[in-house]
Formats: sequence, C-alpha cells, structure tokens
Amino acid sequence: MPPLWIPVRFSIALLALTWSLNAQPRYDLMLKGGHVIDPKNGIDRVMDVAVTGGKIASVAAVIDPAQAKQTVNAAGLYVTPGLIDIHVHIYLWKEPGGEAVQADAHSFRSGVTTMVDAGSSGWRTFPDFRRRIIEHSKTRILAFLNIVGAGMGTGKEDEPAEMDAEAAAKMAKENRDIIVGFKSAHYGGPGWESVGGAVKAGEATGLPVMVDFGRVNATRNINALFMDKLRPGDIYTHCFSGHREELLESGKLNPAMEAGRKRGIVFDIGHGAGSFYWYVAVSAYAAGFYPDSISTDLHINSMNAGMKDMANVMSKLLNLGSPLAEVIRMSTWNPAKEIKRPALGSLDVGADADIAVLRLDRGDFGFVDSAGARKSGDRQIVCEMTLRAGKVVWDLNGRASQDWKSFPYQKQTWTH
Amino acid sequence: MDTLKRTLLPTLLLACASVAAAQQYDLLLQGGHVIDAKNNIDAVRDVAIRDGKIAVVAQHIDASQAFKVVNVSGLYVTPGLIDIHVHVYAGTGEPRSYAGDNSLYPDGYTFRVGVTTVADAGCAGWRNFEDFKQRVIDRAKTRVLAFINIVGNGMRGAKFENDLNDMQAKPTAEIALKYKDTIIGVKTAHYAGPEWTPVEQAVEAGTIAGIPVMVDFGSNRKERPMSELVTKKLRPGDIYTHCYSGLRDELVDGKVNPAMFEARKRGVIFDVGHGGGSFAWRVAVPAMKQGFPPDSISTDIHTGSMNAGMKDMDNVMDKFLAMGQSFKDVVAESTWHPAREIKREDLGNLSVGSVADVAVLRLEKGDFGFTDMYGARLKGSQKIIAELTLRDGKVVYDLNGLTRPDWTTLPKDYKQTGDSRWDAVTPVPVRRQP
Repeated sequence: MPPLWIPVRFSIALLALTWSLNAQPRYDLMLKGGHVIDPKNGIDRVMDVAVTGGKIASVAAVIDPAQAKQTVNAAGLYVTPGLIDIHVHIYLWKEPGGEAVQADAHSFRSGVTTMVDAGSSGWRTFPDFRRRIIEHSKTRILAFLNIVGAGMGTGKEDEPAEMDAEAAAKMAKENRDIIVGFKSAHYGGPGWESVGGAVKAGEATGLPVMVDFGRVNATRNINALFMDKLRPGDIYTHCFSGHREELLESGKLNPAMEAGRKRGIVFDIGHGAGSFYWYVAVSAYAAGFYPDSISTDLHINSMNAGMKDMANVMSKLLNLGSPLAEVIRMSTWNPAKEIKRPALGSLDVGADADIAVLRLDRGDFGFVDSAGARKSGDRQIVCEMTLRAGKVVWDLNGRASQDWKSFPYQKQTWTH
Repeated sequence: MDTLKRTLLPTLLLACASVAAAQQYDLLLQGGHVIDAKNNIDAVRDVAIRDGKIAVVAQHIDASQAFKVVNVSGLYVTPGLIDIHVHVYAGTGEPRSYAGDNSLYPDGYTFRVGVTTVADAGCAGWRNFEDFKQRVIDRAKTRVLAFINIVGNGMRGAKFENDLNDMQAKPTAEIALKYKDTIIGVKTAHYAGPEWTPVEQAVEAGTIAGIPVMVDFGSNRKERPMSELVTKKLRPGDIYTHCYSGLRDELVDGKVNPAMFEARKRGVIFDVGHGGGSFAWRVAVPAMKQGFPPDSISTDIHTGSMNAGMKDMDNVMDKFLAMGQSFKDVVAESTWHPAREIKREDLGNLSVGSVADVAVLRLEKGDFGFTDMYGARLKGSQKIIAELTLRDGKVVYDLNGLTRPDWTTLPKDYKQTGDSRWDAVTPVPVRRQP
C-alpha cells in the first residue's frame, strides 16, 4: 500500500502547487480529516473528501484547504456515501389515509440521500406518485413498482386479476429513471400469482423483484420461493421477521436461508413495525447469517415504534456484531448494487456528491424490536451532516456554519 | 409445543390480569426530577398515572401499587411539551402553500422530541378548516389544536393572504366557536400591505370568540409599525410571534425596542416561532442579555424550516439553554406558559387529574452547535433528548426502550410485549401476520 501512496501524495503536492498559482479555489467544499468508509472502493481510513459542482472531486489523504471555498472539519467523524434505504413508504395519496410519510422529513436527518419506495404504488398509480411526490422531493426517490396495479394498502393485494405483469413492465420501461424493480407484497395465497407476476415483470425488464412474502403455507414456503420462484438478485425483505419460518421451531436458522443465499437471493432487513425480532436476528447472527442490506420499512406505524429511523436500524446491526464498515456497506454499496444503480452508494470521483457524515456515540443504549423487546447496546450511530449533490441538506451541530459573532450579517427584509 | 402454548399462554395472561387488578396505578414513573411550573415543582418526585390521568405526584409512591413501573432516575419528568407554532395542514397537494406542500404531518415530529400538543399557526381559515380537521387533525395521534387564519382561504400564498376582502371577523369567529375544542386562537400572517385591516379583523374575531390572536407581522411598514401593534392594537394576551427575527425593528441600535417592554407590561405575549427565517442570534443574544426572554418557545416547523437551523422543538429549547436560561425556565416556556397563552390550562401541567401527557427528558452535556436563520452558529454545552413520551398516560415514544423488557427474559419465540394499560407503541397494527 505505501508505494501506491507515494505517487498519489506526490501528484497531490504537484497539483496543490499548480492550484496555489491559481487564485480560485477549485473545490466548493471539503470534508477534512474524517474517517472515510467507502466499501465500493475499499477505503476505510482517514481521508479528505472534496466536492465541486455537486460531484465528488477528490478523495485523498491530504487536500490543501486553500483549494476549497469552504472546509468542514470532520475529524473524529465518519464520512460515508449517502445512505440508501431501499424499503420505505412515501407515496402519500391524494385523499387522506394510508401509511406513508413525507420523505424529506425523515431522510436527511438520518443520513439517507436515496429512498426506494417499496411498492406503495402500482402501474395504475405510479404516474400520480411520480408527479405529486417524487418530482417534489429533495431526497432522491426511486421505486419498486407493486405488481398489484392499484398499489399497496388498497384492498386489492389479494386479487390476482390486479397483477398484470405486462402493464407493470411497460410502466417500468417508461420510467427507467425511477423504477428499479417490482414488489410482491402481503399476498395471502394460496398460490404464486403475486410472486410469479412480479418475476415475470422483472424478466421483461431486467429488473429485480423485492418480496414481502405475506402468508406462508405447506407449499408456499421460503424454500420454494428461494429455490424455484425467485431469480438470483431478487430481494427477500423482512428477513429477520420470523413470520415465515426463517427460524425453525428448534431455534435453528432455516437451511433455506443459506441455500437461497448460495443461489444469489438477496436478504434485506425491512424492519418496519412488525418485521424485526431480536430472537430471530440474534439466532441468525449466531449462525453467521448477516443481511445484505439494511432498510427501515418506514411508515407511520414504524416511525415512532422500535424502528425509529435508518441510523437506529443500522445501530441495531452494529450492536449485533457487524463491524461498522460492514454496516455502512449494507447501507450504501450493497443496496446500490441490489437495485442496479452502481452510480450510487460510493464516493467515486465524478459520482453525485451524496454524503453522510456520521458520529459513533458510545454509551448505554437500548434498542427495541417489533414485539417491544429491548436489547442493550453500547454504540449508536448519529447523523451529523448530510450532503445531497454536494449541498449541505442537514447539519446537526452547525459544523458547516460560522460563529455568530464573526458572521457577516446582512439584514434581511421580510418577503413572502 | 403448540399445545403447550395454547394452554400455558392464556393461563399466564390470566395470572397477569388478576395481579393487575390489584394495582391501582397503570404506570409509575419512579425517581425522575419533576419540573412542573404550574405547581412550582422542581424536585425528585414519583409520578403515578391511572386511566390516562395524573393520579399522584409524591416523594415516594410504592412500586407495588403500580401495574408498570419505570425507573427514570437521572432524567427529567415534565408535562408533555406544547409547541404553539407549527404548520401541519399537509396532504392537499397544493404547491407553495401552508395549506399543502409547505406543511408537515405532525406525528413524525412530535412524540420523538417530547411534544404532545401542537397548535397549527393559521394554515387554514374558515373556508378550509373543516378539510384540515378531517384530513389531518382527526387522524393525528398528536393533540392538534389550531389558530384559525383571519384569511378565509388560510395560508395559501401571497395572492390569498393579501386579499383584504377575504379577512372577515364574523365567519372566522363563527367557525372558532363551532370548533372551540380545537380552535384556540386567530392568526394573522404574512400581510404585505400598509393597512391595519388584517390585525383589526383578527382582533375582532378573537374578541367575539373569546380567544387570543397570534401575529406574524409580515412586511415591516412604517404605516403600521410593530411598536404600535404591540402597545396599541393588540389586546393583553395576544401573541407576537417571531419575536427574535429582527425583521420588524425588534432590535433598534442594539437595544430591544422599548415598545416590547411596554407591551409585555400590558400583557402582550412574545413567542419565539423560530422557523426558517425568524430567529437570529444577533437579535436573540442581546435581547436575552437585556432581560427580554420569550414567554413561549415554539418552532414554526414546516417543510422549509425542518432541516435547516431549526430542527425540532428540543433544538429550539436547546438554543435558550445555550443563551444561559435555566432548564426550569425553558421547560416552563414550553409547557405551562404556552398552555396558559392558548387558554388550555388543562394542559402543560402535572396536576392530579390532568391528562397524563408527559415528557421524560435527558439533558446531555457535550459540545454542541446551534444555527440561526442566517446559518450562523452559537455553541452550547447542553442538549435535550426525549427519552420517553406519554400521551394520555400511554407510551407513544421510547428512545432507548426504558419501558421494555430485555429480550432474553422473554419466551423463546415471543411475539408481543406491553399492555394497553400503559403502552400505545406495541402492539402496533401489524398489517399481516401469518
């Protein structure tokens, strides 16, 4: 490693020299001295990160502050790609009701820059979702399209007639910038209509399917789901719920989980109000079975219960024993890969500068599961700053701000 | 195993229930430092709750008298916080409107910071209040009250809010009287013109309905100076919000406008209303030094302010701690004072018989930074964290699981804990469980 760094350092020095001859700082903002965790690029050490024009401009051991219009001291903090939460519910209907929340109200304060709605809309309702919500959010919003045309919570989720793979695939093709996959959810069965429809739409578009497996029975079980019905790359969410025999009566992890993983099935948390239990998660961890991605399943019933927010769910897995770098991987690069968005979830030079600056607190904390059971932990992730496309969109302690006494106030006048 | 579960579980539940019946309190918060401004309590006290109401506040309450006991030693126990300046008329889809996209749904911002009551500050007027009520107020878990806008169309943007013809005291007062459990005041806001009409109509409506007026004074016009507003136009008990914005001569040559002291003597109320553009350190710091603290602390939270210098109620309270106010005063300004201002003396206190809206707060020490409307930072060493929030005697938020059992003490495939006598978090309506 050191030999590699010498030329890098040298070139930085050379560049610094060039820049110093140039009066204009070349970076808009620099995060200095933070511990960078960028799993895609294998970075897990103290580095400086510079941003310009909304993009990552440089990640290097030392960047001269003279080259940045503004430098924020990130020493003692972790600098990671903006977090990606691939299971949220943010499609607020036109009429009152439903369980969705406002994306921007929950994302940035928890370090999340990309949210993926997990099937709140279907092909009939996606245009409304896109027009009213997605296009007005500061958070980057992507979506799994529900295989049910009417979408989630509409009373149509058990109707096979509503599961039109062709119409769903067509909607996805017309909205490739937003739709990253299909969702099969809450299906009572007894058959495979919902999963089958979603997979068919996925095959027609080359997109993955996310499954909330609803009700299981003798034949509709996770073994058949993972081995026969889903494709490698498809996503099983609520993986530590225990509602679908993820854990056997014996307390052992269902062998279908490991077998599914070997086949390439992706395992996602999807915590929610009713889908994360310590006895399942602890048993899975004991068996060496960790999630591929961390997600919240944020909605009105989960937000104030055990789930709370993305940082809280990440803290749970940290306290279960995943190293911080792995927790970050499960919340950035892994979900980006799962939704086939390799331009997201990393600090690649040239990538959109979506960045989270996180603090790791030590103390006595308690984390609550879906049954209201508590597990104590000694570490907690707190989001200090969030950048979206290079702009500070959350700054808990005013780290990017100037002291008020030296601040050059220019009195505002009130305007509407 | 299944048979065992089927027989054992009901027996266990029955056993629990029979023990429960013997206990007169549903919930006991034990060993916390109670701050209750109304009752002048600032000491370690136990607080017992029964049927959603405060049952006893005493130095010692026997734990055996309570169905559920929660140790809150080292924490502060206060009345549920009251934020009298929020914008929560969300969901209509109207862009650039506080009766629409500028508003937030309340429940995501309240319980997690200890707030149990909010008052919407004039998003709706008499024409759209019923839609607001049906769409948001009646569906929220938070207690949502409202100032009714003197503009019939409410806070829908400049075109509506500058329409003098739509500012009518009579229909405004009528709807306030019709919904007097919810409408606790009249709001006038964002007026750009030189006339006093909006204020006069609001005061008239307030007089008819017997409720206070809250003023966001809009443009700073020499034809209608703030000094005249607070010393002449407003009645005692009316509320001047955004009091540290500095946008309307609140500070003149570095001194608090003498009219504000005079108005305070008259009984006019000064409220923070931080918002996205209404709180400046260079106004607030000198005002505090010159002896002009706020009567009430409020957020003016909306989608434009929520992620900026103003973050939530606790964050605004922290700012006053950072300027040197005592925790006790800051709590009073966020509980009992606002309750009195909106004439809801049933709230904001822990009197026996009051609704058990309770916040359990932790005062964290460290290096913190707080930013104002301009993005300037003031450092502080204290930060309020809401550990536990109760609404009507039931837990609606529990940050660290203070009320929850350790998972290792439960049966191996437990599904539910908690009891509806004290718990509103779980059981939750899980959408589908096989």
